[in-house]
Amino acid sequence: MTLLAAEALQIGYNGRAALPPIDFRVEAGQMWALIGRNGSGKTTLLRTLLGLLPRVGGRLDRGGTRIGYVPQRLEMDLSVPMRSIDLVRGGQDTGYDFLNPLAPFRARAALQRALEDTGAAAFAGRQFATLSEGQKQRVLLARAISMDPALLVLDEPTSAMDAAAEATAFELISTLMTRRNLGVIVVAHHLAVLARRATHLVYLDADCKLVLSGPSEIVAHDPTFVAHYGDLFHGMAIA
Amino acid sequence: MSASASAPDITLSSFFDNWELFRTSTLAGTVAGALLGWLGVYVVLRRMVFLSAALSQAAGLGVALAFFAQIHWGLTGLLASPTLGAAGATLLTTLLLMGGGARGVRRDALLGMAWLLGSAGTLAIGTRIAQEVQDIQSILFGSAVAVLDEDFHQVLALAGVLAALHLWWRRGFLAASFDPEGARVRGLPVFGLDLTLLATMAIAISLCTRVLGALPVFAFSVLPAMAAVRMSPNVNVALGISAVFGAASGFGGYVLAYRYELPVGASQTLLAAALVLVASMVRRLLARVFR
Repeated sequence: MTLLAAEALQIGYNGRAALPPIDFRVEAGQMWALIGRNGSGKTTLLRTLLGLLPRVGGRLDRGGTRIGYVPQRLEMDLSVPMRSIDLVRGGQDTGYDFLNPLAPFRARAALQRALEDTGAAAFAGRQFATLSEGQKQRVLLARAISMDPALLVLDEPTSAMDAAAEATAFELISTLMTRRNLGVIVVAHHLAVLARRATHLVYLDADCKLVLSGPSEIVAHDPTFVAHYGDLFHGMAIA
Repeated sequence: MSASASAPDITLSSFFDNWELFRTSTLAGTVAGALLGWLGVYVVLRRMVFLSAALSQAAGLGVALAFFAQIHWGLTGLLASPTLGAAGATLLTTLLLMGGGARGVRRDALLGMAWLLGSAGTLAIGTRIAQEVQDIQSILFGSAVAVLDEDFHQVLALAGVLAALHLWWRRGFLAASFDPEGARVRGLPVFGLDLTLLATMAIAISLCTRVLGALPVFAFSVLPAMAAVRMSPNVNVALGISAVFGAASGFGGYVLAYRYELPVGASQTLLAAALVLVASMVRRLLARVFR
C-alpha cells in the first residue's frame, strides 16, 4: 500500500528550488532514510513531506495517510510541566478531534498500547524533563504511534544518544514497523546503525545539486554516495 | 483602600459586616483573578508576560487616535468612539502578534514593538489633544477599589463565555501552544486556534484593565500562573491551580487592602507574589521529601 508518493517533487524556500526534482514512493513495511551533509536539504524535504513547508513544484500525494511525527528532541520546551503520559496523550488528537470531549476516553486503549509497545509504560507518570535520552525517545515514539499512524516520520531521533542507545532505538523502531506494518521515514546523520535497517535511501547533496533515491543497495553503490560515505554497504546484508 | 477617619475599627468582621458595600468590587477581583489566572498559564509558558502591558499601551493609542479624529477631523459617533478605538487597536496588536509570529519573528520582540509603538504614538498624538489626555487614562484604566455593577456583570459574562470556550477547546489550545508543528502534522487548525487563544487573552485583558486597572491585571495574568506551574505535574493541573490562585489573590487582596489600609491593586499583586514564594517553598519541600 502506497503511503506517500513524491513525483518530480521540488523543495526549497520562497518559490526557489534547492534541489533537482525528487521521485520516491513509500510503501508499508519500508524504512526510508533521508541522508546527506548538513545543509543538504534533508530538513527541508522532511518539512515539505509533512506539509509544514509548501512544495516548490511537482506532486506530493499523502492520500489521507495518518502520519505520526517524532520531532527533534531539542524542539521540546522542557520548561512546560508534563508527565510522559501527558505528552503521549497530547499527540492523539487529529483534525478537529479536540472538539469532542469524549475522544480521550475512546482513545484510552490506543494510548495504553502505545506506551506498552514502546516500553514507556514504566515511566509514564514521571516528568518528561527528568528522563534519560533513551527514555525520552521512547515517550516521543509512543506519542507518534498513539494515534495509530500508517506512516512514522522521525527527525534525527538518535542525535543525542550514544552508540548503544542509538542501536536500541533503531531496534525499537524496526520492531514497531514490523508489528504495526508501518512505513517509516527517518532523517539521520549517523549511518552506522541506520545502514543495517533502512530498506531505501534518499541521498541529498545541495552543493552538487544531486538527489539519489531508491533501494539502499542501489543508492549506496552510486559513486557520489561512495565518495562521501565510503563503501558503507559493502558486504552488508540490507534489511 | 483609603481609611475613613471616622471608621472606629478596621477588622475582618467589619469587612464582612459591610459586605454589601464591597461585594461587587471583591467579586469582580475574584472573577477576573480566576479568568486571568487560567489564561496566565498560556501567557507565562509561551513567554508573553508583557502581553497585558503591550495591549494596554496599544489601546491607549487607539483612544488617542479616536480623540484626534473627533477634534481634527470632526468625526462623531462610532467612527470616533474611544472605546471602539481601544478595541480596534487591541485587535490590530493581536493580529500583529499572530502575523509576526507566523513569519518567525520572536514574540517577545513583537510585544516590545507593540508597547513602544503604543507609548510613542500616544505621546505624539497627546501633544495634539492636550485636553483629552487625562480622559485616556480614565477610559483605559479602572480602579479595583470601586467597581460598578454593570462592569462586574460584563466581567462575569465574559468569564463565563471564555471559561466555556477554554474548557471545550482546551486540548486544541494546548496542542497549538506547546506542540504547534506536531499539531499541524496531525491536521489541527493551529493558526485558527492560536488566533482564537490570543483574541480571548486580548479581550479578557482589555476588559479587566478597564474595570480593575493595569496593575492587578498584569499581576493576575503572570503571578498565579508562575506559582501554579511550579507545583503542577502538568499544564491541565496548572490551569486549575492558577485559576484558584488568581481568584484567591483577587478576593484576599481586597480583604487585606481593607484590613491593612492598602491600595487594592497593590495588595492583590503582593498577595499573588506571596503565592509564588509559597509555591517555590512547597516545591522544594516536596522535592526533599520525595528525593
